[in-house]
Amino acid sequence: MNDTKAQAQTKDLVQDYELDAPPEKVWRAISIPALREAWLPKGDLADAAPVSSKPGEEVRYRMREDEPPFLESIVTFQVSPNADGGTRLRIIHGLVGASLMLRMPRAANSNLRCVMRAA
Amino acid sequence: MIENDIFKALADPTRCAIFEKLASGSMNASALREGMAISQPAMSQHLAVLRNARLVREERQGRFVNYEVDPDGLAFIARWLAKYRAYWPARVDALKALLKDMDQ
Repeated sequence: MNDTKAQAQTKDLVQDYELDAPPEKVWRAISIPALREAWLPKGDLADAAPVSSKPGEEVRYRMREDEPPFLESIVTFQVSPNADGGTRLRIIHGLVGASLMLRMPRAANSNLRCVMRAA
Repeated sequence: MIENDIFKALADPTRCAIFEKLASGSMNASALREGMAISQPAMSQHLAVLRNARLVREERQGRFVNYEVDPDGLAFIARWLAKYRAYWPARVDALKALLKDMDQ
């Protein structure tokens, strides 16, 4: 179908944050599941396991919305030292090819049932 | 708001099923009606609602009209961007709180 066209549609959200804590500590907070859970709940992730990880530098997770149309996306966290001994945290969140990422939940015994969740 | 339109469009189980069918590939209105107990005018009406919410777009091919999920739909992107623009600052605040509580 229109895969190439959809793929070309890349919308990234890029945000930088300055944190007082040193990079090693920030790295632990974003990469160790028990710590990550305290600020980024696994309910917001499509998969609690990272898509990829470069220890100490970058980790990527797949995220999934909990309401229609259930868009999936990839968030990248990049950690680097800043001039003040703290950390620059860059968050790059990309919705790549909305139609490719589209995942509608399928009811087990009917192909005509859309599952709506109460907000 | 467009976000509201999307929710309302998909809140109807029939429309949600139509949208789900289209998510697997484009088709015309009669193919869409196969296996669904729904009249042609009702189908047209549902498709109009989905189109107005920018979830679905139509493509005319001669006498036929095909419907497909609108991948360029501003609806997806605008809604998604607005949501996560507000989401991340809140998450980072929670991260800062966690960092304060953590041991070195």
